[in-house]
Amino acid sequence: MSDIPAKRALPPKESTLFKELLTLYETRQLKKGLKTADQILKKFPEHGETTCMKGLVLTHMGRREEGIELVRKGVRLDLTSHICWHVYGLIHKGEKNYEEALKCYTQALRFDKENLNILRDAAQLQTQLRIYDGLVETRHTLLKIRPAMRQHWMALAVAYHLNGNLAEAKKILEHYEATLKAQNVPDYDVEHSETMLYHVRLLEDLGEFTEALAMLDVNAKSRAIVDRTSIMEIRARLLSKLESDEAEHAWRVLVEHNPDCYEYYRGYLSNLGLTLDATDANASRALSILEEFSIQIPRATAPRRLALTIASGDHFKELVTPYLFSGLKKGVPSLFSDIKGLYQDTPKQQIIEEVAVAARDKFSSTSLEPSSSTTDIEPTTYLWTLYFLAQHHSYLGRHSQALKMLELALAHTPTLPELHMFKGRVLKRAGDLLGGARCLEDARFLDGQDRFLNTKSAKYRLRAGMVEEASALLGLFTKKDAISPGADLEDMQSLFYLIEEADAHNKNGNFGPALKKYMAVNKVFDEVEDDQYDFHGYSLRKFTINIYLNLLTWEDRLRSHPAYVKAALSASRIFVAVHDDPSIGTAANASGAQLTDAQKKAKKKAKKAAQKIQEDAKKGSNNDDKGLEPTPKDDDPDGSKLLQCTDPLERAAKLLKPLVTLADTNIEVWIATYDVAVRRKKYLQASKALAQAAAIDSEYPELHIRRVEFRQAVSSPPEPPQAVAPILADLMSKLLADEVSSEAFNSQYLQRHSASAPAILAVAKVQVKLQAPREQVEETVLTAMREEVPIDIKTALAIVAFLGTIKSPREEEFRTWCGEKFPLATVFKPAAELAALRELALAAPQEVPDKVEDVP
Amino acid sequence: MNIRPVKVDDFLGMQACNLQNLPENYTMKYYLYHAMTWPSLSYVAEDHKGRIVGYILAKMDEDGGEDAEPHGHVTSISILRSYRRLGLAKKLMVQSQEAMATIYRASFVSLHVRKSNRAALGLYRDTLGFTVQDIEKKYYADGEDAYAMRLSLKP
Repeated sequence: MSDIPAKRALPPKESTLFKELLTLYETRQLKKGLKTADQILKKFPEHGETTCMKGLVLTHMGRREEGIELVRKGVRLDLTSHICWHVYGLIHKGEKNYEEALKCYTQALRFDKENLNILRDAAQLQTQLRIYDGLVETRHTLLKIRPAMRQHWMALAVAYHLNGNLAEAKKILEHYEATLKAQNVPDYDVEHSETMLYHVRLLEDLGEFTEALAMLDVNAKSRAIVDRTSIMEIRARLLSKLESDEAEHAWRVLVEHNPDCYEYYRGYLSNLGLTLDATDANASRALSILEEFSIQIPRATAPRRLALTIASGDHFKELVTPYLFSGLKKGVPSLFSDIKGLYQDTPKQQIIEEVAVAARDKFSSTSLEPSSSTTDIEPTTYLWTLYFLAQHHSYLGRHSQALKMLELALAHTPTLPELHMFKGRVLKRAGDLLGGARCLEDARFLDGQDRFLNTKSAKYRLRAGMVEEASALLGLFTKKDAISPGADLEDMQSLFYLIEEADAHNKNGNFGPALKKYMAVNKVFDEVEDDQYDFHGYSLRKFTINIYLNLLTWEDRLRSHPAYVKAALSASRIFVAVHDDPSIGTAANASGAQLTDAQKKAKKKAKKAAQKIQEDAKKGSNNDDKGLEPTPKDDDPDGSKLLQCTDPLERAAKLLKPLVTLADTNIEVWIATYDVAVRRKKYLQASKALAQAAAIDSEYPELHIRRVEFRQAVSSPPEPPQAVAPILADLMSKLLADEVSSEAFNSQYLQRHSASAPAILAVAKVQVKLQAPREQVEETVLTAMREEVPIDIKTALAIVAFLGTIKSPREEEFRTWCGEKFPLATVFKPAAELAALRELALAAPQEVPDKVEDVP
Repeated sequence: MNIRPVKVDDFLGMQACNLQNLPENYTMKYYLYHAMTWPSLSYVAEDHKGRIVGYILAKMDEDGGEDAEPHGHVTSISILRSYRRLGLAKKLMVQSQEAMATIYRASFVSLHVRKSNRAALGLYRDTLGFTVQDIEKKYYADGEDAYAMRLSLKP
């Protein structure tokens, strides 16, 4: 080894020590490793590889900063050592900094081209970063070095597949299988079975259906493929694609195998050119097929339910009557949610009402005579019928009728949690959030062991803005040693909790904690994105290629998840608001001074627990391996630093970026993108965002506001740079024609949408921007009170908030009007009244009435 | 409700369902580990909007050593409270068991249940046919004992 640079070469004694050091690290004997490294460094303080290894060991021991400093120093001392670069790559990988890690691995490979460990890690990094051409190359190298390793063949095929070269993937797979033949694969080898299933999928994706089917059949018969459900599914699909006569039978076999899988019925029908669409000309044929299945497989509910979608008129009534009766007799709580999809069809909705009302009349008489022996109907059937009718009425917006049904039911049986839960939902829908929370608490009290009831009750408290009180409930089911109930739920990645609590803080005007929770949602998605890393190696070793490929596709679209969209939009709005008015950030900070006792206690506990974690991390003297991932530390538990960050717009832009491709049909994504871009003076991007929004819904009220706002932004000094000015002018004129004044544009919009409450509010907001006198703005916005304008609670609340921002003396007038318009709602009541209702919502449940009250 | 084999897209919904219903929770990585190791053993029940309302998360138990009989294990099974009384748990269990038996030649399936969880115990014993095999002391993180239950898959 004459080409070792002089500064790297060690005398025999130290050279042996260095080898020991590597082994000690591999086996995580960190303390001994550290001692050994120091022994070498005592004599050779400038030895780069030892310096790096010492840094790596220290990092594992939790002495992170010191460790990383040494690694950097080591790399500088020996820039051509693959060990140094490998170590540096490991450090970056531990920080999930995959790009930097890959750069280090690439450097390492320059100096040690055939290092298996480094090549494998590099391949995983390339997959994580979706650098597929590089991946093909790395996998090729690995195969060349170790062609006897089965997984190297598989890995190369997958690399080609990911890089879009399916034909080459197939070739590699064929090679691989040829080498297997000699080795005799045992029966029931699950790994081999998965490999063959992947091969079949490849052929199907290549459009080679005949070959795919032949391969499937041969391998199913020889038991090389053992996954029966997959065999049946793929077989039916391929036969349909080949328009084979055998397809019908194949789909029937699937239906019999799992008669509650909708997909199999759809496949069966689609193979015959039929659909589940009621308006289809051949609907009656599809219907009779489903009815046949219902008779043949009586235990299955799917064909009976699917038949309801297609049937109409008297036939529908004939089918829906026994369906509903059977559900009511069994007491199926989800019966309504099961059939509410049929309500898009008004005649069906009416038939269902008729049937349910008839059922109530029938069962109410039997329920009054519990001793009647002529019938097998349980008194609970009546109860479930009332429950069903309550849901029916509520769905159609008839709140008081729904409540009437529930009062009857509750008088009959006050101990069924479902009734209380649904009463809470009706009140929530009607705008009585506190009353809703009260009812959910009544439900929870009936079964304190049930986490479902607990979660729902906490959710309703959050909706009513009672964050601390919700946390107290959630804590009944979270880990007792967690910093707080919320911390446990965050560790467990509960998106539901994070979003609900963030929304509650947001509504309460606590923007710091709100932002904190929205960003925690983002963190969960970061984690799930990181989760795939290990599987780039693992799945190849397990040969579970099909599901692994699906995993990658899913990860690529991960942030289209509604929870991410919601969190990103809400966080972005807060960032924009704090950019426009930095006092929000400081005001929120000041309000932190007035904490309740409970809050103070919780804060103290959290601080203590966080301190303990920090201290544990600092105890680097023992041998415990702390890994390479940094310990998360939180020096901003209430989000106040986040709120006062210096780059709110950049942070918002980063959150929104994935949505531009993953949620591009969501108009709010484009509005939010515009809001951020225009403030960053990125006018081209801003105008494009508005154009995208216009393509989705050109009359959208929020878009109307931005058209005018954008004209003001680009026409006011400082002018946009000369180079883009002409393009911008062109784009601008498409959003708002040059010859129309903003005032005229606004009044034309109002004329078109004079009966839309959100549009009226938008026009008023534009008037403010155009500096119209307050009286005029009030006059405009209060036209929302006219009889012919339909208005919902959400819009009404937005108008209340708007009147507040313009300091309108007419806010009270509007609130009073809302109180009459939404008689059940409490959200419009003054703060003093709400405080009393809040007490009521949190009190222990009322005594269960023992006397049935008269319900009008 | 629609009963079908799990897809990767389902695991966030499965996790949400689990968090809403049960005290034993897992991070996403653990769900993905099940999927990437035993892709055909888990099933979901979904409503008309595609929301996961019930699931069975299952695996093969590899703790028994080389010569132990291969057997399946139910990591978690749960149905949202509002979707009970439809027999969904049984339907999910039947599909998963069939997959354990045909793909991995499992001879039985096992699961753990908290000693205090009478509702679940009733479901496993009376509806699904499991029998109590053993009591595992302090099986759960909070110190509670578990019943180890089994169901034979031999015809």
